[in-house]
Amino acid sequence: MVAARIPPVLSATAALSTFNLLTGLFVSSLWLSGAGAVGGAYLLLRIAAMRRRKDGDTPEEEDQQPAVRPMAVADRAVDPNDTDALVAQFLAQGRFPLLLRKQVAGNLTPGQLEKAVEALHETMALIPEGEVTVGPEWRDEEGETGEGEPAVPPRVVRVQQLFLDRYPVTNRQYFEFVAAGGYEQMPLWDPAIWPAVLDFVDATGEPGPRFWKCGCYLRGQENLPVVGISWYEAAAYARWLGKRLPTDAEWIKAGSWPVAVSATSRHQRKYPWGDVMDRSRANLWGSGPEKTVAVDEFPTGVSVGGVYQLIGNVWEWTASSFRGIDCHGDPLLLPTPMKSIRGGAFDTYFDNQATCQFQSGETLLARKHNVGMRCAVGACDLVLARLVETGENDRSASHEDGSAAGAPPAEEVQT
Amino acid sequence: MTKSVIQPLESYRLAQYALPIRCYICESENTFDAEFCTHCLAPMALAHQANSQKVCPKMVAVLGPSAVGKTVYLGMLMDMLSRRARKLHVLARGAFSITLQQTTLAALARGEFPEKTTNDPDHWNWVHCQIRHPRQRHPLELIMPDMAGEAIFEEVNHPHAYRVIHSFLRKCTAALVLIDAARLRDGQREQDYFTMKLLSYLRELNDDPKRGWARRPVALVLTKADQCDGCQDDPEAFARAHAAGLWQQCRDRFRTYGFFAAGVAGACAFRENRFEGRRQVPLRIEPHGIIEPFEWLLKYLT
Repeated sequence: MVAARIPPVLSATAALSTFNLLTGLFVSSLWLSGAGAVGGAYLLLRIAAMRRRKDGDTPEEEDQQPAVRPMAVADRAVDPNDTDALVAQFLAQGRFPLLLRKQVAGNLTPGQLEKAVEALHETMALIPEGEVTVGPEWRDEEGETGEGEPAVPPRVVRVQQLFLDRYPVTNRQYFEFVAAGGYEQMPLWDPAIWPAVLDFVDATGEPGPRFWKCGCYLRGQENLPVVGISWYEAAAYARWLGKRLPTDAEWIKAGSWPVAVSATSRHQRKYPWGDVMDRSRANLWGSGPEKTVAVDEFPTGVSVGGVYQLIGNVWEWTASSFRGIDCHGDPLLLPTPMKSIRGGAFDTYFDNQATCQFQSGETLLARKHNVGMRCAVGACDLVLARLVETGENDRSASHEDGSAAGAPPAEEVQT
Repeated sequence: MTKSVIQPLESYRLAQYALPIRCYICESENTFDAEFCTHCLAPMALAHQANSQKVCPKMVAVLGPSAVGKTVYLGMLMDMLSRRARKLHVLARGAFSITLQQTTLAALARGEFPEKTTNDPDHWNWVHCQIRHPRQRHPLELIMPDMAGEAIFEEVNHPHAYRVIHSFLRKCTAALVLIDAARLRDGQREQDYFTMKLLSYLRELNDDPKRGWARRPVALVLTKADQCDGCQDDPEAFARAHAAGLWQQCRDRFRTYGFFAAGVAGACAFRENRFEGRRQVPLRIEPHGIIEPFEWLLKYLT
């Protein structure tokens, strides 16, 4: 009986075992082939990584490599007697304000003048003249101002019509200045700072911004704002272009876009886009990649006048001195003279430090990772202004006010 | 005439007072309603939370001399981690854990540094938080107090002067040691000496070769690095150049250590008045290198 009953069980067990074995083999072969494929791919990736490391070219290091040196406009030799070529060179370098100076504009053909004016409107925004309130306004996180009357009251400043760069100066734009020998052209620099100019070098000892290498910006950073420049470098670059740094009042006017609501009062925006902080409109701490971004990013943060990134990405040097006022409006003691910087940067933490009114300071020789620049030029310094006013295409138009080219206009203070 | 009534027996409520509660820091017994440990002055809320949540939080010390920036560092770290999403972030345990973050950030937003931490342990801010990381299933419970620099100095020079510090450092699993980079750069050696004494103290506190401080992770954070050129680029090279003794001691006495650079203020100025004297004030707040040393420590705690 037992013998009679065993075979079917055995046969069933054997069949099951065989089935299991076959299934196991099939699954194992599948797994092995899959694992083999994964393992093979992994091995190939490892070999590729090892090769890259051997060549000293890991992805992180790639970002730290200087860019392949682009062809600078100054690299192409220009015949000094060829006016067309010279004008083309100036336009390509972004030095059109020099063409629009009274001394030069009169010698341009209408076509050349038109190109210069086009370049002006394309790259710079017109900021109308008017009054703007400039003053200590340090609000805490709850939006409350400091207690008591500030020791230094806000000032009302009249700003003349000016053009302000739509975007912060990029590495690529600054490269033109470096390639054209800007660091060797001593007339561009304040004589007092000549000894320090030799020390304005990049990471490899070449003249240029602090974080560049071999006299060139790093790979993939051509459209990022230039940083690691002192106030003197910013001023020299602006002078080379025929522009200047904006004053505090001009910068605030471009951002807060004041509108007169009565004879004595005006409404100024807290941010270029309005009165409410919206971190999605600016590259600040927590709203961006925690590093600088291209100057045309965050387009929703544009000001009424069409100026981008006034808030966030990088602080911007201004021509004004930093007065040093604390939250109560009391003056601060500065360890060294400082220049005013405005706008906040990608690492600015508090909302109340990324407003049009907030002012911080930096020593003139500081070359920080988050301080860049944008340039301005007074409309009164350009022949264009007279052409617009009179509607005449008077190529010999000259400027009457006699103000020094590139010098910021005097501020009129009303109490 | 008598009338029987049912009188609820509430004496059981007194039983909880009879049961002692152990302080989470010094493990001394305290009564149920004690706010601070009667022996070390650590908040008893830590023990209550540990008991109620059935977890034993790990402890990380933030150490350094007076005015090095411990309060700013810890307050800023908590605030930065609490504002981040989809990354390493913290969740405060209990309202008291947010006080440090609140006071520090309010002061910085006003353009001031927070008030100096007093030497009284019952006035210190303790942070009990839950650390969450998207890649880790289980959150990590941590306790980090903001201790006064002068009290730490006193305890290092005279062990057992501050029982809370002594007990806390015995149980700590890691430490963030802050060093003022600006003073090191200016050639002031007190920072160097203090940190060397502190590291020696830690080693002597628990010299067990397997579980002692020799094996516990120590992050050496050079604060105010924004004021020192080159410090942020290579903190270890900066330490080797300006605090050679400290750098050598770390190499010889600790197996797991790392040098980091941190800064909170982009630039500083001074305010002077009759009442406060001369005080340094930040011109703007742009934190750098705050999270990195903490993240590095967490790798060894999880």
